[in-house]
Amino acid sequence: MHPVFSGYIYPNEYELHWGLLIVIYPYLTGLVAGAFILASLNRTFNVKVLEPVYRLALLTALSFLIVAPLPLFSHLGHPERALEMLWTPHIGSAMAMFGFVYAWYLLMVLLLEIWFDYRKDIVIYSQEKKGVAKYFYRILTLGATDISEEALRFDDRAGKFITIIGIPSAFLLHGYVGFIFGSVKANPWWSSVLMPIVFLFSAIVSGIAMVFLLHMITDMFRWKTPNMACLNKLAEFLLYAMLIDFSLEMLDFIHRLYESEESIHILGDLIQNRLFLSLIISQIVVGTLTPILGIIVARFGNLPDEMRRMMYFLSTILVQVGIFSTRWNVVVGGQLFSKSLRGLTMYKVQVLGLEGILMCIFLLVLPFIILYTFIKILPPWPHAETK
Amino acid sequence: MKLPKIPQQIISLFILLLVVLTGFLFARKYFTPPSFGLYGHYRANAVDEIKARGMKYAGSESCIECHDDIYNLKAKGYHKNVACEICHGPAGKHADDPSETSPEIPHDRSKCTICHDYNLARPTGFPQIIANQHNPGKFCTQCHQAHNPTLPHTPNECGACHREIASQKMVSHHASLECTTCHEAPLEHLTDPRSFEVKKPMTKEFCGQCHARDANSPVEIPRIDLQIHGGRYLCWDCHYPHNPEANR
Repeated sequence: MHPVFSGYIYPNEYELHWGLLIVIYPYLTGLVAGAFILASLNRTFNVKVLEPVYRLALLTALSFLIVAPLPLFSHLGHPERALEMLWTPHIGSAMAMFGFVYAWYLLMVLLLEIWFDYRKDIVIYSQEKKGVAKYFYRILTLGATDISEEALRFDDRAGKFITIIGIPSAFLLHGYVGFIFGSVKANPWWSSVLMPIVFLFSAIVSGIAMVFLLHMITDMFRWKTPNMACLNKLAEFLLYAMLIDFSLEMLDFIHRLYESEESIHILGDLIQNRLFLSLIISQIVVGTLTPILGIIVARFGNLPDEMRRMMYFLSTILVQVGIFSTRWNVVVGGQLFSKSLRGLTMYKVQVLGLEGILMCIFLLVLPFIILYTFIKILPPWPHAETK
Repeated sequence: MKLPKIPQQIISLFILLLVVLTGFLFARKYFTPPSFGLYGHYRANAVDEIKARGMKYAGSESCIECHDDIYNLKAKGYHKNVACEICHGPAGKHADDPSETSPEIPHDRSKCTICHDYNLARPTGFPQIIANQHNPGKFCTQCHQAHNPTLPHTPNECGACHREIASQKMVSHHASLECTTCHEAPLEHLTDPRSFEVKKPMTKEFCGQCHARDANSPVEIPRIDLQIHGGRYLCWDCHYPHNPEANR
């Protein structure tokens, strides 16, 4: 058993300031950026086989984006002050710019793209539905009820244009989160220019895996046989993203090792002691190498479809475990060693309270409830299937 | 010339954008305090509001006017830089009208321990105690004169001042070692610790007296090859000598 702390710790380092909620924040924003980039594969890069997950990916991104700032509200307290960073912007502070990065991504990218893509459906619903639903959809049309061929062609072109803007925006959103950590120059575990890039690729991995998983689950509940061509393509993209992500993380690791700055000993200690389970076991072995192997075998092995789907399913769950561990290792790991580089402290998770496990479970479940609602309002499947 | 037809969607979105932007601008105007940004990135009126709260502290200079005897005593001792109101609390009202209120005279242990309770971050040699272990139940002022603090008697053991180190050493493998086995302590350190400092070992060979392969010490003591173990690092870069297991 570890003692609570070992070696030399400064008095203000006994207690960690960024806990579970700040672990969840990059995890959620990562899922948003990843899901959106997956959607853009279909739209911008014309990977037609991914058509069945396009809308689901957009709705997933939106659901997680709505929840993304909640961990911050809960951590900081005073959610009523949140908008003050929009009224009185402090352009010298990266953290204070979050409101603008978020608003841009929500209003100018995601909502717009979803609206253009669903506009035809919304207009049809506003004509077909009865009662309150009719008026609800009518409001969603924003008065644009023209669904002539020419108008739909325009929708398509606009959607494509927004996706092209959306890709750098998604990179900005999650690169920004990595930037916040990477720019803490006093912390050798965080301070790295590679941080935004590593964050971005892990975001793409988690987003693709989440949509992949949701696609299989929603198909299961709708008694549909999943489109294997689509699943195989998703598996390929997930595999490539994981390989790039893992290589980048290894590059970062080797670079630190070769640089061997004065912090290398305490970081080595950190990995061998405090983070052994969450980094070596959970992130690398369970969350990266096992799913990579699983996907390679499932995708390129000679397996029946049923078995293949089962392996995809398990692999994508493991990827989520791995990426969550990545966030944990960055956020919590970065605070477990003393700035004196001479000692390690310990993080104790609370159960109750605004920073506790229950709150975190709530914040992790909430996006799925929101997604369920969105799917009810704007079914992501083709019109014929919905009926 | 015929103008190109603007799609319905663009008109709708443009109207919505206008509504949102106007709403934002109005909200910004309404919610931004008028004095914001006058001096810097904060509400300038906050300065006046804080000023209007009134003074609670009188400042040491006002205390001297009546209590010069105590001030002169304090000025010679270790507490010369400690302002009166740090221990006695805000005395603005007392300074205005001495007959009406009297400042607090702290008798319990809570005030002194603000500075003298053990804390790793305090400078070496700063007098520190672990309150629960240091004469529990007694008030500090029963033994110490707060205005001119000196030790009531010469400490009998190092742990009297270096309590935390002593507590750690007590449960470590070094428990049986005297402090003077490793530290050279001049006798004067007991009465004037700042002028006569204790010496610490400087070389690996010092630890090697017990821990080197060829050391003349009991067999159960862990041995290392002094030439290669730890490379260019000194023993205490990795091992904390007062509790050498902690950093293993």
